[in-house]
Amino acid sequence: MNYPFWDVPLIGSGWVIGIIAIIHVMVSHFAVGGGFYLPMAEAKALREGREDWLRALRDHARFFIILTGVFGAMSGVGIWFAIGLAHPESTSTLIHNFVFGWAIEWVFFIVELTAAAVYYYGWDKLPRRTHLIVGWIYAFCAWMSLVIINGILTFMLTPGASWLGAAGTGQEAAYFWQAFFNPTYFPSLVLRTLVCISMAGVYALITASRIDPLAEPQLKDELIRWSAKWLLPSFILVPFCFFWYLASVPESQRALLKLGISTIGQGTFTQVTRAATVVVMTSATILAFVYFSAWRNSRHFNLGRALCVLFLAFAATASAEHSREMLRKPFVIGEHMYSNGIRKQEVERFNREGYLTNSMWLKTDAPPVSLRRVAFGQPVEPETAANLARGELMFRGQCLACHTVNGYRPIARLLQGRDRQAIMAFLKTLHENKPDSPYRSYMPPLVGTADEIEALADYLDAILNHNVKRRSDHLAQADRATF
Amino acid sequence: MDASWSPKPDVARSRSLATVIYEWVDERLGLEEILALARKKTVPDHKYSFWYYWGGLSLFFFFVQVFSGVLLLVYYRPGPEAYESVRQITYDIQFGWLIRSAHSWSANLMVFAVFVHMFSVYFMKAYRKPREFGWWSGMALLALTLLFGFSGYLLPMDDLAYFATKVGLEIPAALPLVGTFLTDIVRGGPEVSETTIQRFFALHVVILPLIYLPILAFHLWLVQKHGNALPPSEEAKPESERRTIPFFPDFFSLDLGMWLIALNVLSILASLYPWQLGPQADPLAPAPVGIHPEWYFMSQFQVLKVFGRWFPGAAGEALGISLFTLAIVIWAAIPLFDTRTAGGRRAQIATYFGYFALLGMIVFSIWGYLDLK
Repeated sequence: MNYPFWDVPLIGSGWVIGIIAIIHVMVSHFAVGGGFYLPMAEAKALREGREDWLRALRDHARFFIILTGVFGAMSGVGIWFAIGLAHPESTSTLIHNFVFGWAIEWVFFIVELTAAAVYYYGWDKLPRRTHLIVGWIYAFCAWMSLVIINGILTFMLTPGASWLGAAGTGQEAAYFWQAFFNPTYFPSLVLRTLVCISMAGVYALITASRIDPLAEPQLKDELIRWSAKWLLPSFILVPFCFFWYLASVPESQRALLKLGISTIGQGTFTQVTRAATVVVMTSATILAFVYFSAWRNSRHFNLGRALCVLFLAFAATASAEHSREMLRKPFVIGEHMYSNGIRKQEVERFNREGYLTNSMWLKTDAPPVSLRRVAFGQPVEPETAANLARGELMFRGQCLACHTVNGYRPIARLLQGRDRQAIMAFLKTLHENKPDSPYRSYMPPLVGTADEIEALADYLDAILNHNVKRRSDHLAQADRATF
Repeated sequence: MDASWSPKPDVARSRSLATVIYEWVDERLGLEEILALARKKTVPDHKYSFWYYWGGLSLFFFFVQVFSGVLLLVYYRPGPEAYESVRQITYDIQFGWLIRSAHSWSANLMVFAVFVHMFSVYFMKAYRKPREFGWWSGMALLALTLLFGFSGYLLPMDDLAYFATKVGLEIPAALPLVGTFLTDIVRGGPEVSETTIQRFFALHVVILPLIYLPILAFHLWLVQKHGNALPPSEEAKPESERRTIPFFPDFFSLDLGMWLIALNVLSILASLYPWQLGPQADPLAPAPVGIHPEWYFMSQFQVLKVFGRWFPGAAGEALGISLFTLAIVIWAAIPLFDTRTAGGRRAQIATYFGYFALLGMIVFSIWGYLDLK
């Protein structure tokens, strides 16, 4: 409870990160893969003396530098803002642990951006050999930034036994390398590198689709076919790497993938399976689409078809990233911090001493803003207002990271039809978090004292059933504070 | 060295196994003749070519329907156990939910693709001589597609299916003179019941396919015979300025590409927005709030509702459905009216009528949804 809460109505704070992150992944993977594509294509063009290729590559380089240098960099910073607001506790843990990792990444990032600018603006000014070397410097630095960030991303799913052993001792940073080269590091690095190579082909197909087939038929044929080949390595190798990755994930997390095989259930419990189904379908068919639409019909390959390839790549990437994020449930940092920012080690203390005890965000002298709508004009006792304020803070602290009231994963729909008693029974299940609880694999345990959980039940009852009076008969009195 | 031991050039050995198999089949079935026909066929290449894909997309979704429908048939039990069997498919059987979801989404996408195909054919004036039978067989296929959708919707027998079917049957029941009689036959009585499921099931998996498949074959044969029609703007161009691409393999592979995109759209919808199953239908329970037929029947439903409001009693509904029937008759008869190949007054009237119909469908559908609230 060190940080305030970011209440994003309808989509929830998680999707703010999600939207920015998916765009960023689409662009940043292109930034890495495209880094290899450009010098390799340029070297081929120089070797074969193809001026038409060089002209087309220059156009592609312009598209590349604008997309990666502007949108890639901006969305990267956007992720920082979003995770800082939505998940301050976990962001704080990552910074404390990986501050030097990020410093190294920033060095590579600065060299990367500089090399990209020199590469594009020095196209006809630098000697050819020097220009190519700048291209390779860019490619190396871009890939190195992936090498670094991959360590931090995979840490969040599998921090590794060494780091977990030190968690909470204040000595976590001493296990930097163990945390960095965690169990899913290498499969993830290979997977992401393969995706980067594919993305290079996907985006190159966009610029190649713009070549006029009547004016330059040979150039269009060659560039489209050469770019299409970039999708082949990942098509062949990704399935193997995916199984390698899955084998490195703890069994408890792998089980989440199987939850949705036999049932659609409702909402989140089957999301990993459903999103993974999309990944399998889009990844399996994207190459076939490129074969039929681009390879076999390069001259008819127009922008519309190139955007279809991008659409498939987007669907695959978005679903894969969503699945990866969901695979961490109920944690945001595997086996250490729950998705609502509560550390596993803190559960017992919060249950004993109270979750709200040391919160600086509890304002019991004023009624919660979110309840004004449901109880407008009703007279409410100050102690009821204070109780509901405690309930609201429990909701914000422990539910808001994944749920909204009426939008994404809405509490109002998920708890629909439950009276206060049923709500309380449900909260009790979450609080006890027994090994056979169906919610255990997906949701963090509900922490707090009995009184705090009662307050949360009152708050949810008020939100759902517009009931702010039931607990005490003396509440509905006139000339009291009103919402 | 004995010359007989030295390797000889052997034509048969240099051929791949696939070639040998192909030739074996070709000698018996004449595949080369079919391919020669396909290679000879061309498809016009112009700025409206995108609309040529929608017929193929409709066909693709039909294939998905057949495939997923057969899989559902393995577990579905019509009659008193209908709901329970769909519950098992959705919640117990591995990936049963996916197959059911794909079947339901594909049904909707198929209806959408058929509508787009119909309107694109209409506005490209592809119903003109010699393609009139293509238009009429297409209209029949559209009607059957809608019947497929309607009959399939009831089969899960959850509350939404039950009440939507009940409401949907009000449309044919409003037909003057024969409406009630026909509806009772389809329904198997005055109320939607288990008998209705049995009848709808027979209709859905036996009767409709038996009627649909020969008409589909006829429709596809006509497409093959007459080829793709040129829109009037392309027809006006001199032949030397018109571009074409070979049907096989060029257009065929582009078509396959579109099918793959359609498959992915279907997979995304079916996986991320799986078709839900409501509570079991209870005829004695009140209808859920805002009950309405599927989106493709919404405009008809709203027309009936509006006429019912304007002219209370059976007369209003009868008037509404009569007007609707008249519009369909005119729509089907349009090739007999707009016969000239060059632009002219009749061509213009037909185009305006098309805009009117499309706009009417959209406006009444939106109105229908707004009216529910």
